[in-house]
Amino acid sequence: MAYLSTTNFTEDKDFIDKWLYTIRTGEMDLSWMKSATEKISPEEANPRRGLTYRDLNLGTYGYTDIPEKVRANRSYAPRGAEIPEGVPDAQPWVSRKSELWAFNTESYYEEAMSRQWNATTDIPWEHLDGVELPEVTGKALSQLMTFLTEVEMIATDTPAMWLPRLNPDFIEVRSFIAAQAMDEARHAEVFRKRALTTGWGLMQASPINEMALKHLRDADSFSEMSVALHLVAEGNVLTMFRFSEYLSPTDVDKKIFRLVMQDEARHVGYGMQHFKYVLEHFPEKREVLHAHLDEAENISFAGAAATELTESFIILAGGGLKKENIEQGIRVTTQFQLKQMQEHFERLDKCGMPERKERSKLYMMYEMGRAAAESAGIKL
Amino acid sequence: MAFYADKDYTVDQTVLEAAKKVMEGHLGLHWYEAKTERIAGHASDSRRGLTYKDLDVGSYGYSNIPEDVRTSQSMVSRGSEKVGKLPDMGYVVNRKSDVWSDNVAELYEEDKARRWVPATDIPWNELHAHPIAPGLEMACAQLYTFLQECQIVSMDFPSKWVALINQDFLEQKSWMCAQMLDASRLLEVFRKRALYGGAGLGRASVTAEQGLKEWLWADQFPQGSVSINLSLAGFLLVVYRQVAAFAPTNVDRAIMRYAMQDAGRQTAYGLGQLRYYLKHRPLEVNAMEGYLDHTEHALLGLIGSPELLEPMIIICGGGLEKAQVDQGRIATAKFIRLVVREYMERIAVAGLAGHANRSRIPAMIDRISASA
Repeated sequence: MAYLSTTNFTEDKDFIDKWLYTIRTGEMDLSWMKSATEKISPEEANPRRGLTYRDLNLGTYGYTDIPEKVRANRSYAPRGAEIPEGVPDAQPWVSRKSELWAFNTESYYEEAMSRQWNATTDIPWEHLDGVELPEVTGKALSQLMTFLTEVEMIATDTPAMWLPRLNPDFIEVRSFIAAQAMDEARHAEVFRKRALTTGWGLMQASPINEMALKHLRDADSFSEMSVALHLVAEGNVLTMFRFSEYLSPTDVDKKIFRLVMQDEARHVGYGMQHFKYVLEHFPEKREVLHAHLDEAENISFAGAAATELTESFIILAGGGLKKENIEQGIRVTTQFQLKQMQEHFERLDKCGMPERKERSKLYMMYEMGRAAAESAGIKL
Repeated sequence: MAFYADKDYTVDQTVLEAAKKVMEGHLGLHWYEAKTERIAGHASDSRRGLTYKDLDVGSYGYSNIPEDVRTSQSMVSRGSEKVGKLPDMGYVVNRKSDVWSDNVAELYEEDKARRWVPATDIPWNELHAHPIAPGLEMACAQLYTFLQECQIVSMDFPSKWVALINQDFLEQKSWMCAQMLDASRLLEVFRKRALYGGAGLGRASVTAEQGLKEWLWADQFPQGSVSINLSLAGFLLVVYRQVAAFAPTNVDRAIMRYAMQDAGRQTAYGLGQLRYYLKHRPLEVNAMEGYLDHTEHALLGLIGSPELLEPMIIICGGGLEKAQVDQGRIATAKFIRLVVREYMERIAVAGLAGHANRSRIPAMIDRISASA
C-alpha cells in the first residue's frame, strides 16, 4: 500500500477499550464539543435561490478569508473545522489561492448544480425517427461528433486529475472541477449518442488534434492547465458549438449544441476569472503563462490543420459537396476560424493580457487571415 | 512541460499547406469512407430516453470490450477508425476486470436521472423555524463535520483514477465523473447543514482520516475500489439510514434520504466491481483477501472514532440526558453491528464467502455491541 495509517485499529487496545467503555456506560469524552471553532448565523440571501455557498461566506468558514498561502490545513478536514494533531497529510500540490481561485467560483458551481441536464432524456431523440439526412450531411455530422467525443475525453480527464491535487480548503474550486468533469462526461455521451443515431456511426479519429490536445494533460501547474484548457481549448470549442448550432441539420442537433454551450460558457467563465485572478495576485506567473500559451496556441493551429474536421465543417456549412456548396462552406468556415481567434484574444485582453498579441504567432495568423478574408469579401 | 506535441504546427509547412488547400476548396475527404460500423441507434423505450444500453451494439458496445485492451491508448472514442499517429495517454488500467461492473452503465444513467440540488431541494428554512436543543445541534454539527471528511475522500478517489483508465471504458469513466459530482453534492449539503444550524463545524477525526487515507492511497484500482466504493460507501449508507431513522429535524431526514440514494449507487458499483473482478481473476482471490485483512482495520477507525460515535449516541437518543444517552448507546450498538454485518454480507456476495470467518472485525464488533 502506498500509505499505512499510523495505527492499526484492530491492535490499538486503548482505542478499542475506550469504545467499549462508551458503549457500555454511555460516558462520553465530548471533547469535540469544546472545539475552538466559530459559531455563525447564516441566512439565505434569496429564498428562491436556496441556501448557497455565498450565504455561508462568513468568517473562518468563508472563502473570502482563505489566505494566499494555506498553511494550516493539509488534511481531509473541511475548512473551518478544528484540526487536531495526528491527521494525515493529504499531499496537495496546490495550496496557494492565486494558483486556482476565480472570482465567482461558488456561483459557477451552484449554477452547474442547478443546470444539470440529462443526455438520455433531455434531448428529443424520438424526433430523429424517420429522419434520414443526405449521405454527405450525415457523414459530415458524424465526423464532427467523432471529433467532439475525442475533445470531451481530454476535457474530462484533465480537470479531474487535478482535483485531488488541490488543497481541501479550496472546497468551492474542487466542487466546480467535479461539476466540470461531469459536464464533460455528459458531452462525450451526447456526442457519441448523436453519432450513433446518424445511421453512419462514428467516423475517423483526428490524430493532429489528439497530438495537440495531449498537451492539456501535462501542464506543470493548475494555472497553466487552466489557461490551456478553460481559455484556449474550451474557448475554441465554445465558438465551435455556437457555429455548430447554426449549422445543425436538425432541431435535435440544435438542442444538443444549446445545452452544451451553457456548460462550456461556464467553464470558459471560470477560466477567464481565474486567469484574471492569477495575473493580479501572482504577477510572477505572467511570463510562465505566456510561455505556456505559446504552446497552447499550437492547439488552434492543429485544429485548422486537421482536415477531417475542417472538411466536415465546410460540408455542414455549405450543405453539400457541389461547387457552390463548398464555396459557401468555406466562407462560413473562414468566419468561424477567424471568430475563434478573435474571441481568444478578446478574452485575453479582458483578463489583463493585452500584450499577448505582440508575441503570439496565432495573432499574426489571425491578422493575415482576416486581411485575406476581407480581400475575398468575407466579413467577420 | 512533460509533453510537447510532435510538431510545432505554426511552422510546419506540410500541415499549413494541407490546411490552405482545403480552404481553397480542394477537399481530400480521406475520412469520408471511414471503416467503421454503420448503425442507427434508437431508444428501446422512449420514456426512458436513449440510454447507453441502447447503444451497446457491435463494435460500439461495451459488452464486446475485450478483457485486455491492447490497441487503444489514445483519446479515440470506442468504435471510431484509428488512423495516423495517435498519442499514448499513458493509461495504467487497461484490463476490463480491473474496473468493470455489469451495472455500470445503468448506474450512470440512474445517477443523472436522480440529480438533486442541495441549495434548493432541502427545506432549509425549517431548521430555523424549528430549532433543536443546543447539545443536539452540536452533535449534528460534529456528525456533519465527520461526514464532510468522508466525502472529501470519496471525491478524491474517482478523480485520482479516472485519467489513468483506458478511454475504451467510457461508461465506467462517465460513472466515475458522476461519482465525483455526487461526492461534491454531499460535501456541500453536509457543510451547509452544519453551518446553517448555527453550531459551526466540529473537530476533524484523526482516526477516521488515518483510515481513509490508507484506503484512498491503495496502489491498485480494484483494491481502492473495494475500500472506497464498498467499505466506505457501505458504512456511510448505514450511517445515513440510522440518522434518517433518528433524524432530529425534517431537514436532516431530507438530506439523509438523498444521501442514501447516492450511497446506494456507489455501494452497488463497489459490490459489482468486486464481483466482476473476482469472477474474471480467480487467481487474485487470495491477494484480495490479504488486502482486506490488512486494511479493513480502517473500518474500525471510522466507526469507533469519537467524532462519529458520540454524536451518533446523542442523535439516536435525542439528547444528553442519561435516559437519552442510554437509549442512544443501545441504538448505536445496533448500528455498529449492522455496519459490519452488511459489510461482511456484501463481501460474501461478491465472492469472498469465507471472509467473515477469517476477519478479526466481526468478533471485536460483537464484543463491543454486546457490551451495550
